[in-house]
Amino acid sequence: MKDYQLAWKNLWRNRRRTMITAASVFFAVFFALVMRSFQLGTYDHMFKNVIESYTGYLQIQDSAFADEPVIDNCFVLSDQQVSALEADKNIDKVIPRIESFALAASGNRTQGVIVMGIDPVLENEVSGIKDRLVKYRFTPEIVKEMSEDSVPDKIKKLLPLFENESYSSVGRLMADLDLKESDTAVILPLIRKKASFPNGYFGETSPGVLIGDKLSVYLHLNVGDTLVMVGQGYHASSAAAKYVVDGIVKLPTPDIDNKIVYLTVNSARLFYDTPGMVTSAVLDIKDNSEEAIAETKTRISSTLSSPLKVLVWQEMNEILVNQMEADSKSGLIMIGILYLVIAFGVFGTVLMMMSERKREFGMLISIGMQKRRLAKVVSIELILMGLLGLITGVIATIPFAFYFNTHPIRFTGQMARMYEDYGFEPVMPFMLPDTYYLWQTLVVLIMLVIAVFFCIRKIYRINVINALRA
Amino acid sequence: MNVLEINEVYKTYHDTEVAVTAVNGVTLSFERGEFAAVVGPSGSGKTTLLNLIGGLDQPTDGEIIVAGHRLSELRPSELIDFRMEHVGFVFQSYNLIPVLTASENIGFIMNLQHWPADKRKKRTDELLHSVGLADRGNSRPSQLSGGQQQRVAVARALATRPEFILADEPTANLDSKSTDTLLDIMEKLNRDEEMTFIFSTHDSRVVRRARRIITLEDGRVVSDERR
Repeated sequence: MKDYQLAWKNLWRNRRRTMITAASVFFAVFFALVMRSFQLGTYDHMFKNVIESYTGYLQIQDSAFADEPVIDNCFVLSDQQVSALEADKNIDKVIPRIESFALAASGNRTQGVIVMGIDPVLENEVSGIKDRLVKYRFTPEIVKEMSEDSVPDKIKKLLPLFENESYSSVGRLMADLDLKESDTAVILPLIRKKASFPNGYFGETSPGVLIGDKLSVYLHLNVGDTLVMVGQGYHASSAAAKYVVDGIVKLPTPDIDNKIVYLTVNSARLFYDTPGMVTSAVLDIKDNSEEAIAETKTRISSTLSSPLKVLVWQEMNEILVNQMEADSKSGLIMIGILYLVIAFGVFGTVLMMMSERKREFGMLISIGMQKRRLAKVVSIELILMGLLGLITGVIATIPFAFYFNTHPIRFTGQMARMYEDYGFEPVMPFMLPDTYYLWQTLVVLIMLVIAVFFCIRKIYRINVINALRA
Repeated sequence: MNVLEINEVYKTYHDTEVAVTAVNGVTLSFERGEFAAVVGPSGSGKTTLLNLIGGLDQPTDGEIIVAGHRLSELRPSELIDFRMEHVGFVFQSYNLIPVLTASENIGFIMNLQHWPADKRKKRTDELLHSVGLADRGNSRPSQLSGGQQQRVAVARALATRPEFILADEPTANLDSKSTDTLLDIMEKLNRDEEMTFIFSTHDSRVVRRARRIITLEDGRVVSDERR
């Protein structure tokens, strides 16, 4: 009989204990992976939202603008510079932006806003801003009307949760209202009829603005209404103008959605009195892997002259990155505690097993089984037991990760508002299996290795006479 | 020809404040094919003597020679190999491996010695037959009675034809019928295979069957009778 066969038989001598220990490893791995997948998926989603709708992966700025983002720290972006940048192998386009602040007003309401001067065509190609135009809006009146209409009960119950919500795509609407394909034939025509929102985009020479959905709700603005903005222009000049609202966009990051005003870059230059200038040039890149971003930054930095510098998305979103890092650490502490509890469980089993089988070990050594061979058999037992929990735990999380990656958990009601208050989209997708699976596996394996070493040490220290008397 | 020589062996324990001498200058020798019982009151040193002979413990002084091997010269791992090759053990509480069948328990030491499978099976079947358990080879220890388990333990001890079998109170947990059956089997194996058996026992039924009776008191041999 081979050692692994004996180990396998030993594993099932106390079936219940083996199952309990394997189950404890299973649940530790399962919950740790689900928790981590949830956390990393959420961070990834938040970063993507901010990067794709706002900062981009790489920007060129005046080094003073990075520290003090005011209009005075803008720079001239010449056509030659743009051509030189676009010649880089990882840069697809260079998108000019003027970004500053102003006070926006409508009626008796005011709000400090981010003013973003963009190239309507290029910006749309990069951040798909046109796709973010609001298509459906559920005002309280519309919700009331629809609730009285012949909609399925399930949707009727959900509708009040989406009061004052706007949607820029049918997909998101279907996910939020939990609509199945079978429901769409009934409900979508009704939504289109009742909740369709007339909207528009602006052209390169348009004098109008696009505003965030939440900002429009706050300022009671609709398409075609007028927005007044007052601010400080270049070198303390006065900036004041009124604009027609051409369209309303729904941005995934609530903290931006409630204060964004898009102008064409030309309108912004006029507003701030910065002809031919930009506050940043967003570099639209082909490969957005960490390595490619770092390499591109190095290459571009070497071609720029002071005071211009290249910033990566982490540098532009320092607060968010720090917030996520702190949250990640607290998550890791939770996982650590979880593993600590499980480690005690595994060690409890190991101690009990060693104590219960002391006499058997003494007998095996006395009849001629070398201690190293006995240690090998017991090690195989423990590793099999741990792997049983580990492998099933990992396998069990994979469908969850895939499902919740494509069908993220979407908070509603109070929880959603709380998230939005903190400036985050109330959506929690899972991250697909990645290197974090390896790390969790490694932690469990280390735990097992420690348990195995403990057993080996115990076996090598067995006094045969005492063991036989046990 | 002597298979075992014990020369002036002492074993003193210092576990407590007072040193206890469990074996006190014992000198004995055993020839092939003996059927010997070591008797004496509790605490007389029977089990300690058997542990020393089996290489499970080291004497404080003196010398034990088994088949030409001086046990004091062997390292711990060599002692384990020595036991595997030269000594068979039968324990009071059977000590079979619970997850293995009777056949697998008997074949265990042959397995440790890397016997080929066919040779191992042949010897296992032969021993199962000898101990009257030919039809119970696939039974686990938990499915066997105490007497049957001890018969499997004897078969396991005999499997690789060691120099001698050490049996520490082998009948202590058995009823009289099982004891008689076991003793019959051991006597037969002693006769047929010329195997040397050394028992430590309190059991008068074992003593009656033994052909040599060594009596210990306070760690000393007080009588050594051959019948």
